[in-house]
Amino acid sequence: MEPSLPVESLICVPVLLPLLAAGVKLAIGGRLRRLQSVISLVTLGLSLAVSVVLLVAAESRGPLVTYLGGWPSPIGICLVADRLSTLVLVVSSAVTFCVMAYSVANAYDEQEHDAPMAIFHPAFLVMVAGVADAFLSGDLFNLFVAFELLLSGSYVLLTFGGTEARIRAGATYTLMALASSMLFLVALAVTYGATGTLALAQLAERFPQLPEQVKLLVELTLLLAFAIKAAIFPMSAWLPDSYPTAPTPATAVFAGLLTKVGVYSIIRLEALLFPGGPVSTLLMWLALATMLVGVLGAVAQTDLKRMLSFTLVSHIGYMVFGVGLSTRAGLTGAIFYVVHHITVQTSLFLVTGMVERRFGTTSVTRLGGLMRATPLIAVLFFVPAMNLSGIPPMSGFLGKLLLVQAGLAAGGWPAGTLVAAGLVTSLLTLYAVAKAWSRAFWSAPRVVQAGTVVESEEDTGEDPTVTTTSLPAALTVSVTALVALGLSFTVLAGPLSALAERAAGELMAREPYITAVLGRER
Amino acid sequence: MELLLILHAVAAVCAPWLAARMGRASFAVLAVPPAAAFVHTLWVAVRGLPMREATAWAPVMQMELDFRADPLAVVMMALVTGIGVLVLGYSAAYLPAGDEGLGRYGGVMVAFAGSMLGLVTADNLLLLYVFWELTTVFSYLLIGYDPESRVSRQAAMKALAITTSGGLCMLAGFVLTGQAAGTYRVSAIAADPPAVAPVALVLVLTGALAKSAIFPFSTWLPAAMAAPTPVSAYLHAAAMVKAGVYLVARLGPAFGDVALWRAVAVPLGLVTMVLGGWRALRETDLKRLLAYGTVSQLGFLVALFGAGTRATALAGAAMLVAHALFKATLFLVVGIVDHAAGSRETGELSGVGRAMPWVCAAAVLAGASMAGLPPLVGFAAKEAALESLLDAPFALAGVVAGSALTAAYTLRFLWGAFAAKPGVAARPVRRVPAAMFVPTALLSALGLALAPAASWYAGTMSAYTGAFRDPGHETHLVVWSGFGLPLLLSAAALAAGVLLFAAREPVARAGAVLPVPDSSQVFWIIVRGLDRFAVQLTGLVQRGSVPDYLMLTMLATVGVGVFSVAYGGAPRLDVPVVAWQRPEQPVITVLVAAAAVLALFARASIFLAVVVGMLGYGTALLFLVHGSPDLALTQFLAETLLLVVFALVLRRLPIDPGRGRLPFPVRIGLGLAVGVVLTGAGMLAGSARDVVPVGAHMATAAREAGARNIVTALIVDIRAWDTLGESTVLIVLTLGLTSLVFLRRRSYRIEPKEAEHPSAEPHWLASTLPRGQRVLAFDVVARLTFHTVLLLSVFLLFVGHSGVGGGFAGGIVAGLAIAVRYLAGGRNELGVALPVHAGVLMGVGLTLSAGTALIGLLFGSAALDMLATDVSVPLAGHVHLSTGVLFDLGVYLSVIGMVQDVLRGLGAELDRQIDAGEGS
Repeated sequence: MEPSLPVESLICVPVLLPLLAAGVKLAIGGRLRRLQSVISLVTLGLSLAVSVVLLVAAESRGPLVTYLGGWPSPIGICLVADRLSTLVLVVSSAVTFCVMAYSVANAYDEQEHDAPMAIFHPAFLVMVAGVADAFLSGDLFNLFVAFELLLSGSYVLLTFGGTEARIRAGATYTLMALASSMLFLVALAVTYGATGTLALAQLAERFPQLPEQVKLLVELTLLLAFAIKAAIFPMSAWLPDSYPTAPTPATAVFAGLLTKVGVYSIIRLEALLFPGGPVSTLLMWLALATMLVGVLGAVAQTDLKRMLSFTLVSHIGYMVFGVGLSTRAGLTGAIFYVVHHITVQTSLFLVTGMVERRFGTTSVTRLGGLMRATPLIAVLFFVPAMNLSGIPPMSGFLGKLLLVQAGLAAGGWPAGTLVAAGLVTSLLTLYAVAKAWSRAFWSAPRVVQAGTVVESEEDTGEDPTVTTTSLPAALTVSVTALVALGLSFTVLAGPLSALAERAAGELMAREPYITAVLGRER
Repeated sequence: MELLLILHAVAAVCAPWLAARMGRASFAVLAVPPAAAFVHTLWVAVRGLPMREATAWAPVMQMELDFRADPLAVVMMALVTGIGVLVLGYSAAYLPAGDEGLGRYGGVMVAFAGSMLGLVTADNLLLLYVFWELTTVFSYLLIGYDPESRVSRQAAMKALAITTSGGLCMLAGFVLTGQAAGTYRVSAIAADPPAVAPVALVLVLTGALAKSAIFPFSTWLPAAMAAPTPVSAYLHAAAMVKAGVYLVARLGPAFGDVALWRAVAVPLGLVTMVLGGWRALRETDLKRLLAYGTVSQLGFLVALFGAGTRATALAGAAMLVAHALFKATLFLVVGIVDHAAGSRETGELSGVGRAMPWVCAAAVLAGASMAGLPPLVGFAAKEAALESLLDAPFALAGVVAGSALTAAYTLRFLWGAFAAKPGVAARPVRRVPAAMFVPTALLSALGLALAPAASWYAGTMSAYTGAFRDPGHETHLVVWSGFGLPLLLSAAALAAGVLLFAAREPVARAGAVLPVPDSSQVFWIIVRGLDRFAVQLTGLVQRGSVPDYLMLTMLATVGVGVFSVAYGGAPRLDVPVVAWQRPEQPVITVLVAAAAVLALFARASIFLAVVVGMLGYGTALLFLVHGSPDLALTQFLAETLLLVVFALVLRRLPIDPGRGRLPFPVRIGLGLAVGVVLTGAGMLAGSARDVVPVGAHMATAAREAGARNIVTALIVDIRAWDTLGESTVLIVLTLGLTSLVFLRRRSYRIEPKEAEHPSAEPHWLASTLPRGQRVLAFDVVARLTFHTVLLLSVFLLFVGHSGVGGGFAGGIVAGLAIAVRYLAGGRNELGVALPVHAGVLMGVGLTLSAGTALIGLLFGSAALDMLATDVSVPLAGHVHLSTGVLFDLGVYLSVIGMVQDVLRGLGAELDRQIDAGEGS
């Protein structure tokens, strides 16, 4: 008997497959290194393919739902693939695939060649599974589990190698993540206490019936939990303290994805569960502070990774701004920006990793003349850097334009102020990036011979980095692919922005999601 | 049009490759796209106007690939492409043959030419903005062509910062305009101007003025002279700086008659014209002299187009062409002089004119056009300008003053470059390559050759100028308009210019004394101030202290409570509070609360661990009292395991509780406030519910499905997806943790300790601790209970479906059995007790769980669909077989592996490190 597989049943694959692969890899242990890499890449490649299929299906048929274990919602857990979730899933899958290729090329797993257990790949895969689950989950508690999954993977990746700097950064990161999880848990308890359910679709129906202050209490507690994860000011300080020390692929994928999972959750939360209300205004002011404080932080940095971490915080503000507008146009801009930002921020961190590998440092005061020394790296840095700064016609500009249009269309002085702040942020991002470019890539070259042992600048207890000229081709290829993906958003700006707009429309309407999950006969 | 732009892009991308193979000859190839565009321009002009193309790009943001060529656009296209070709040819000779930056230079130049072409043909404001910013970026790269020079890096940054600031203002202005008009199509806006908010106009103008280096944004242009001279000729004289002028000209038909538009553009333009000219009189560097001259002329152009009448627009359109021709020529001349004589300083150059008569002639011809001498294009344009402004006395006065200054700095330039100066030795001069001379001479000659076409040009341009609603003073564009007021003014200006030049020494001194605002200083003060502010703010926000961050989180939590009540109204306070339902509850609560308070004062880490453990046990008791033995059992087991782990870790980890920076009462207060908010939240939530919770349906559903234990049904079936996730979390965290312990060690094997206690006496375990650490009774108990407990764990695993138990509880029980053997017998005993790699156990466990989920997907209806069947087994009767058991087995194995790994890492490995005396 040929088992039939409706497309809905594929929804769990982007979560399940990486978990299975992680299990298999652990069971294999440290043996068969080549096979390990193949498993990782095939798994992530398959996830990407499935995500694309889901996106196409969700686009043509509306939200798809799978009820895990066959238990109908709200009794069991369901996964929902609508336009928004599948869109971000496709982008995140593409990005994780590239980052995994980068890690394989960079032989991060070989650093632990003789270690008793190869944990880099399993931790990475578990994190990827968590990210996918967070995007797809139709259940608030399961969203919590998804966060735990991705966080547990990220703890391991962040402290990978166990240098003192990484342990210290890991402590900051872990404690803040735990604080966030605790708040999330409280919110879950309050939510279940007040509504008697945790299925998002049912919550969407029940929250509006609650007394205002209870609703606000849940909304704000969840928002606070997600704000920590998304690094929204004033809950953003942990990020630049912890991200830069991690291994490059980890930082890159954290920067690209993890904060965006927080943003995604905020979008889902605000649009599905709590449309309207005073929180959107609060979000706008938070966005303002996040943008400006973040970008000023970037201006103040002399280290590429730290500078990028601050721009990361700053640009989270853009997305929050779009959500705070709570209009269809605003959400469209936010969604488009999420897609853009995942890609470009990851690319930048990966390129910076190449710089570090080649020159042993990412401090702009100790770099110079990279444009002449390594023109390819220079191009690979410059293009996403300009993209991040919102130089047209790249996606950073298109996202910014959507937000500016949405803000000005919304009218009123708060939105106007935010538009102005957004433009100032854009300018200062360009300034910060250009300053770094000017010092590290221009200016007089400093000759760094291959094999030079570069001692860590600060007394971090970090192992000295050994420079190398032999950057594997696969490294360059994976980064180039990511940069090209970022540029492709320009070519595909039409369909992509239309898709983002339809996704925003679907979110604002709420009904398609609720109906798809709870059935038509309500 | 799109094809041409793509051609430019392709050429730009290929440039480095071409340059590497062909060297400077590659510039000939790179000149092909602009040349093709030039031909296309001519064809468009001949075929008749307007041309238009439109392709959809991103309709959501109303960004369309809309191109349109009207007379104004065609003129700009011709200038941009024609001068582009000439400058590329010139560059081939100008740049050193072996320069490693050739490819970069050529690529960026072509890319710039393409962007400029797009800019002048775009018929969509947003598309125009795209090309606008692209020219900014390419200009940035070209100014920084010599990246090792600090001056050029700073100049590049300055140009980027100023033009982008303006650009971003302009973007906001464009969006406001587009939203007011309902379209971003430039031609539609010009044809039917919307009522636009004044702020939008100011924003748009800001962008245009910044790009065209109008006061107060002028400072970037003279600094940009750090670029190679052909770049200056093309970008900073003929093309890019004209973008701002072009925009003012382009939007003139729409907004030219708005008072605000004029009030901003005209005065600023005139101020720039005069200040720039005045500043040029002091320069001794020929290139900077020209740069200030350019600033001055740009001011002139902006004033003309900004005045917003048909007449001024016509004069502006003529001046646009004239300026591009003479200014590009003069820059190229500077390049030749610099190349041949090795200097650009007026004080060092002498007798160059005699050595290079033809170059000098070209320069004089262009200079004459700049100063406005008949019968050159510059003259015709200036006459028209003066005539068009006859109604506006202030503007007229400004223009006359500016013209006088122009004449003066023209003379200064020609004198400085070519004259034989007394007391200065004649400069030896190298031969000038034809590739450099021909474009220069061609552009210069055009200034003369095109003059007779002036009236034809006026006729052609009427299609553009006619769109202005204000006709203005009637104006003629001819080579010779006869004697009249304009000619008189012209002559007066020239005479004044000659006088100014003659008195150049006192003028230069006066210029040095007179406080002309130097916006360069202002710019750097702003930038440094920004840098300083950024550092201070970041230092304030980014404290790097985890306690601070956590405190902030707690404050925010309190804020959540306050905000909710403030905006949501005071909560209903008629919450029915039941003190307790069973007498055990208050007792346990007091116990838990006491433990919590004790934890605050715990100084010794192990004490803290025990107290926190008590909290856990208390919670377990509450579960039990509420009728949930499964949860209670699991909580008890987990707490116990946690205590063991704590004790193991604490051997190497002296936790210093640390003291917060805040005084104790404040911290207590904050803690209490958080407690109040969270407790209040819980009570409020309960009181707000008026529906049956879904948990009740779960119980029914589980019973219908045949499960007798709702908790297990939840864990391994209804919410098995969560279980899969959480067990994975445990696995990953354990591995991550132990990997840190095994960091410096390559072997996972437990190495037998040196035979330091070859005890002949019989012992109960495979290995044993040295005498003194060993407790015989413990050994015995460990030995006797081990298999029984393991059996119990398997029992728990399998009864889960109907009774108290489950994979997780079973796993922990088995783990505890192993822990006991380790504690009794030491690390060697651990190796004997479970000779399997923990990673393999966990891996197999995870594979089983995830695999079961997948089986459900492949053979059932959905992932995690548990397939079940009842099998009749002899003796045991009917046995319910379900893939749920496999799933639970996965969890069971994972948990055992986890415990084992923790014991190995935090137990055995730490033992070894302590024995070996390795540093912590």
